[in-house]
Order: sequence, then structure tokens, then C-alpha cells
Amino acid sequence: MTDEKIVSALVNGAAYPCALGANLGDFLAGLGFGDYPCGGHGKCGKCRVTAAGALSEPSEREKRFLSEEDLGMGTRLACCVTVRGDFSVSVEKKGGAAQIKTDGALPSCPLAPIFHSYGAAVDIGTTTLAARLYDRAGTLLASDSRLNPQARFGADVISRMEAALASHGGELASLVRDAIDGMLSGMAACAGIDPSEIDAAVITGNTVMLSFLTETDTEPLTHAPFHANRLFGEFVTAGEVGLCSLGENAAVYLPPCAGAFVGADIMTALTASGICESGKTAVLVDIGTNGEMVLAKDGMIRATSTAAGPAFEGAGISCGMGGKEGAVDRVWTEDGELCCHVIGDGDPAGVCGSGLVDAVACLLETEQLDETGYLEDDPAAVIRGDVSLTQNDIRAVQLAKSAIHAGMRTLLKESGVSPDEVEELDVAGGFGSYLDIKNAVAIGLLPEELGDKVNVLGNAALGGASMILLSGGLRAACEERTKRISLVNLASNPVFTSEYMERMMF
Amino acid sequence: MSTELLNEISENLQRGKAKVVKELVQKAVDEGLDPDVILREGLLSGMDVIGEKFKANEVYVPEVLIAARAMNMGVGVLKPLLAEAGVKAAGKVCIGTVQGDLHDIGKNLVKLMLEGKGLEVVDLGTDVSPDTFVQTAIDQNCQIIACSALLTTTMGVMEEVVKKAEAAGIRDKVKIMVGGAPVDDAFCKKIGADAYTPDAASAADKAVEFCLELAGKSA
Ligand code: B12
Repeated sequence: MTDEKIVSALVNGAAYPCALGANLGDFLAGLGFGDYPCGGHGKCGKCRVTAAGALSEPSEREKRFLSEEDLGMGTRLACCVTVRGDFSVSVEKKGGAAQIKTDGALPSCPLAPIFHSYGAAVDIGTTTLAARLYDRAGTLLASDSRLNPQARFGADVISRMEAALASHGGELASLVRDAIDGMLSGMAACAGIDPSEIDAAVITGNTVMLSFLTETDTEPLTHAPFHANRLFGEFVTAGEVGLCSLGENAAVYLPPCAGAFVGADIMTALTASGICESGKTAVLVDIGTNGEMVLAKDGMIRATSTAAGPAFEGAGISCGMGGKEGAVDRVWTEDGELCCHVIGDGDPAGVCGSGLVDAVACLLETEQLDETGYLEDDPAAVIRGDVSLTQNDIRAVQLAKSAIHAGMRTLLKESGVSPDEVEELDVAGGFGSYLDIKNAVAIGLLPEELGDKVNVLGNAALGGASMILLSGGLRAACEERTKRISLVNLASNPVFTSEYMERMMF
Repeated sequence: MSTELLNEISENLQRGKAKVVKELVQKAVDEGLDPDVILREGLLSGMDVIGEKFKANEVYVPEVLIAARAMNMGVGVLKPLLAEAGVKAAGKVCIGTVQGDLHDIGKNLVKLMLEGKGLEVVDLGTDVSPDTFVQTAIDQNCQIIACSALLTTTMGVMEEVVKKAEAAGIRDKVKIMVGGAPVDDAFCKKIGADAYTPDAASAADKAVEFCLELAGKSA
């Protein structure tokens, strides 16, 4: 029975067929348009489009985010709109020129590649994918990165696992596989080789990302006790993980995960940081939607994972956006006035994570914001033009920064290590690379005792994957470390709870 | 004189001065003030002010927690006296974070606000099964079941709570309230729960309203 009707949709002036009754957000996401940080639940207000034609009436959810004036101008939230007939819509092309980190630390290690001709290292980040291509001499031939296309199913891993439960698991797998194939083929072309000549790859990522890649059931990871059935640390073939650009039998190494939320990405970052071998008391942290952190001291390795939420990626912040053109990425004060830098140097369209941290630090400095997080001039502390922060934005920052800070303090306390003992703090991940460390300390995102011990690593997950690719012995070391690691659980942890409250203050 | 002392209690409570609150409550008791009056006009009225400020986003989670800590210190002094005088709570609520979820900060805040309205609260903790919610409501004669969820994957458990309550035949006696960041009014209606509120202070207001309504019904 096919009573499905097709209507005509004009998207940015180009015509596409669209099923009658379709959700506008799903339809646009399918074409690669728009951002859906909340996974299309009408909760974040980020999928704004301008639309006209036969569409459902504005819903209550949309009215929460859109003013009368917005609605009058045809602004809608795509994920809340049902297609009732022919329509036209204009929408920003996804991504723009996003800033993504692909460089990153690569300490020297004995060259003993796990491949014969060419090898690739890939990091599947929840937000971004990054890859590198090497030859046997250890020469970096090409690198590439792109946004994780799975983002149309939501910004955080829980939203995506929900989509997997709603039978989109296959789609999640093919989205990431296609994207990896795209990067591998692109890099091969750039290096003048055929992708089938790449005979081995190391693919790192968090536990959920590796599970999606391998179509491993993620249901147990969606609720307490968050038991991971598969922790990887294994070789598979390219065919098994559906990578078509490589030869069917190319070896793909998936590094080990320590638990449901302490994944292979932080384990390979640990390889890159070298803190376990340094003999130092050191902490490695990857600040993202989820903040993973590892403490190394005298052979002891302890790790934890804290949930910050996507505030530093722009979601849940009224003027928030990713680190792409138009984003305010730096804020400072001159004679008590806020000044800022905008990516691309045009007019500001919003504020990205690094700009948000700077802005909050500046508001504290100019005393527009007090230590409890109370904003003198709500609704808006203006950064520049229309880009401003509201009281709600500040509250979201408090929840997020405190989760990271309290997570670190709890990890230290539970391990009997005082913050003063820590000799080095390695900050990994894209956000960490753009972060002004002084401001991060000023707003209490990082403990003040560690502020002058910071080492910025860039994409250390990818760095570590590259090292394992080029130096076979490191694979065993990574696996051994992962077995030895002991995890600190922050849920139902009284130390965390009290730190979390304390660190919510500025 | 006595109103001055009660105001002092309320103000110190708002500033989270737990030790001072405790001392002042003891002083009020020693001066012969009615414990019920100290509770309502000193402690609970102070908590009310904090609740309103929290609703208006003027104060945040930590301030509410320290104020509540101060309130509990004061209530500690009064508890035996209130029991002696036979003062009963206006209603009883069982609260918990649903099965599969361990987030409890929001739930604890709701609990404190409920106590701040003079309601009795049975705290079931986290990872609470639908059966436990319903059985507790029956066993302990609760007028309200309050469920909290912070994960989009666990909010579905709330629907099970509503179904279990229906099956147990207590839906006319027990109101079900739902909340937590991913929950909204539409979801509450969809699963057939009785009320959703976006924050802990309005949750407590709503709970009081329900208790009055149910008391009116049974009278
Ligand atoms: C703190 C936190 C944690 C702490 C929890 C500590 C604790 N004891 O609760 C820790 C670090 C342990 C944690 C762990 C996890 N977390 Co967490 N966490 C958060 C965080 C940062 C803040 C939540 C919070 O406490 N808010 C403050 C309180 C006061 O607000 P609230 O709970 O919403 O409550 C208010 C209202 O909702 C209302 N209310 C609450 N309950 C009720 C009930 C009723 C009846 C009513 C009427 C009202 C009501 O009143 C409250 C006060 O006004 C959020 C992200 C964020 N920025 O919101 C993520 C977040 C909730 N966590 C998330 C995740 C995924 C996890 C993990 C599963 C994975 C991980 N490692 O990150 C784990 C596992 C948790 C578990 N075991 O259950 C995700 C959920 C995503 C999703 N789609 O569902 C979030 C949104 C972050 C993100 N985007 O990734 N987390």
C-alpha cells in the first residue's frame, strides 16, 4: 500500500521532492541542511528556517523560541513543522567554514608501522571527524576533517543512541562510514595513491562512536548501570566495519575503551600525552560535551567522565553557535569596555565556546556578573551588537563549567592526590585548543592550582591513534594501560556533589 | 519583639547562616514562641523568599542548597516540639529519580522546596522502579508521586509509573508530578501525568495546591 504523496519543495531556490506529512527538519537534515543539536525535539531552537507555503501552524514549542515578529516573517523551527503541501524554505547550508583541529601532539616513537604500504589514523569525535594518511617512513601525506554527519540525530551521544533504538542504527553506521570513506578517498587522492593501497587503519573514538561504527548494540549504554558489552581493543577488517574505500581485508584496529564513558579516544590521547611514562603526577583532560579525565601518578592510573552538556559547543546558549564564520571567538576588555574578535572578521552572528568563556571572564572582571552568577543587567550583557548573554546563559555556563571543575577535583580527591601535587595538566580536544587558559581558570572551569601547569595538546586522540599506527609496540602498551585503569564514578558520589555545588560559584 | 526575631530567622536562613538560624530558633523556643509559628513565619517564610528568587533566576542552585541546610538545622530544633504538639504536615510526597537514571541534584532541590512548604517527603533516591514509586505511595499514604528524569532515554519510565498507578487503582487518590530538564508539559500530558513544572519552587507550589485539592475531596 503506497498512499504516500509527493509535494514540491523549494530549498534555497532549488526544487526537491518531499513526502507529504514529512517533518521539515528530517527532510532538510536528509539534504544536509541545518543544525539539530537537540536531535529534533524542539528544545534548543537552533533549527531556524524561513519558510512559506502549505505547512503546519506554529506550535507551542516554536512559540517558546520565536517572537510574534519572527513568526510574522516566516521564521520557523524546522523540527516542529509538518509538510502539508508545496512549500519553499530558505536555510543556511550546514557547517559553513568550521574550525576543526587536526594537528596535535605527536611525540617521537620508534618507527614500526602496523601497515605495509600506507596507513590511516581516524578519530570519530561526537562532533567532528578527523583523519591522517601516512607512508611507511612515517611521513604525513595528507589530513582531513569534517563535521560528524550523525549530528542530525542530536549533538550528544544519548540522543543518538535514542535514534539507534528507534531503528536508525543502520543509518548512523552508514553516515559515519561514508564520511570516513570520503576522508580516506580524499586523502588518497591528495597523496596521489589509490585508497585500496591503504592496508591498515587505526580508528579511535568514544565507546558509543565505535559501537555505531561496528553496529554494536548501544541499548545497555542508554541507562544505568551503563554497561558496555564491547570494549574493543581489537582488529577487524575494513569489510566488517563497512569501509568500502579500503580493500575488503585491510586491517582496522579499534583501540580499547575503559568503560561506557571512558572511551578509546581518551585512551589514545593518553598514549599521545605520554603522562603515564613521564613519571610525573599529571592529569589529562578532554573538555567536550562529556569531559573525560585521567590522573597518572607512580604507575597508578585513574579516570572518570563528567557530563558538561553542549553549552561550550553553543547549544543551550541564546546566542550560541559553533566555532565557524561569524562566531565571536575572543573577548577581552579595554578600559572597562568589552572588545571581541569575530571569526572571518565580519559582523558577529553569535558566540562560540572559547568566546563564551572569555565573555564570562570579562563580565566578572567588569563586575556586571557577581560570584553567585547573578547578572546585573538581565536580559542582556552585550558582547557586541546583537550578541549578548542572558541570565539563563550564565546559569547554563555554571552547570557546565562546574561539572568539569568538580570532576577534576573529585578524581584527585578520590585518588588521594592534592591539586598542588599535580605537575602537569594536559588539555586535549578541539575546544581546549582555542580556550584561553587564564580565563578558563578565572571562570572556574579549571582548578586555579593547575592554571600555570597547562600543556595544550590539540587533537590528542588522533595523535595517539597515529602513534599506534606507526609504532606497533604502543598498541600493546595502550591495551595494558586500559586494563590497569581504575574508574571513579561521579554519580551518587558525595565528594562530587559537594564540589559540584561549590564550583558552580564564580 | 517576636516578629523581629522571626524576621531575623528568615533573613539568616536566606543567607544560609545555618548556625545562627539554629541558635535563633532555640532562642525563640526559649522565649516561649509557638513552634508552629516559628516554623511558618520564621523558617518556611524565609525559604519562600528563596524559592521566589530562584523562580526569578536571581539565585541559583547553591544558594538554595545552603538556605535549605539552614532551614533543616532550624527544623531539627523544632521537630520534637512539633510532634509533641501534634502538628501534622499538610501532605506527603514520595519522590525519586526514575529507573536507569542517577542524576539527583534537581530531585534533591525539589525535595527541599517541598519540605520548605511544610510537606512531608519520602525520598526514594535514584534508579527507582515504577513499582517502588507506586508501592510506597500506597504503603505510606502519599498524596503525590514526584518523578525526576534527566536523560531522554529514562523519561519514558515515567509513563510506566502512571500505568502502574492506574493498574493499582490509586489514580483518584494520588497525583503524579513529573520534571527534569528533558521533560516538558507536552510530555506530561502525553503520558497522562498530572503536572509538570519547570523548576523546583513552582513544583512545591503545585504540590501544595494538589494536597489542598485532595484534602477537600476526602473531607
Ligand atoms: C551534573 C550532571 C551530571 C552529574 C550528576 C550528579 C548528580 N548527583 O546528579 C554526573 C557527572 C554524575 C553525570 C553523569 C552522567 N550524565 Co549528566 N549531566 C549533568 C548536568 C551537567 C547538569 C544536571 C543538573 O544537575 N542540573 C541542575 C538541576 C538543578 O537541574 P534539573 O535536574 O533539571 O532540575 C530542575 C528542574 O528540572 C526541576 N525538576 C527536577 N526534577 C523534577 C521533578 C519534578 C516532579 C518536578 C515537578 C520538577 C523537577 O527542578 C530542578 C530545579 O529547578 C547535565 C547537563 C546540563 N547542563 O544540564 C548533564 C546531562 C543531564 N547528563 C547527561 C549524560 C549523558 C550523563 C551520563 C549518562 C554520561 C556521562 N558520563 O556524561 C552520565 C551518567 C549519569 C547516571 N549515572 O545516571 C546528558 C543527558 C543527555 C540526554 N540526551 O539525555 C546531559 C544533558 C549532558 C549532555 N548534554 O550530554 N551528569
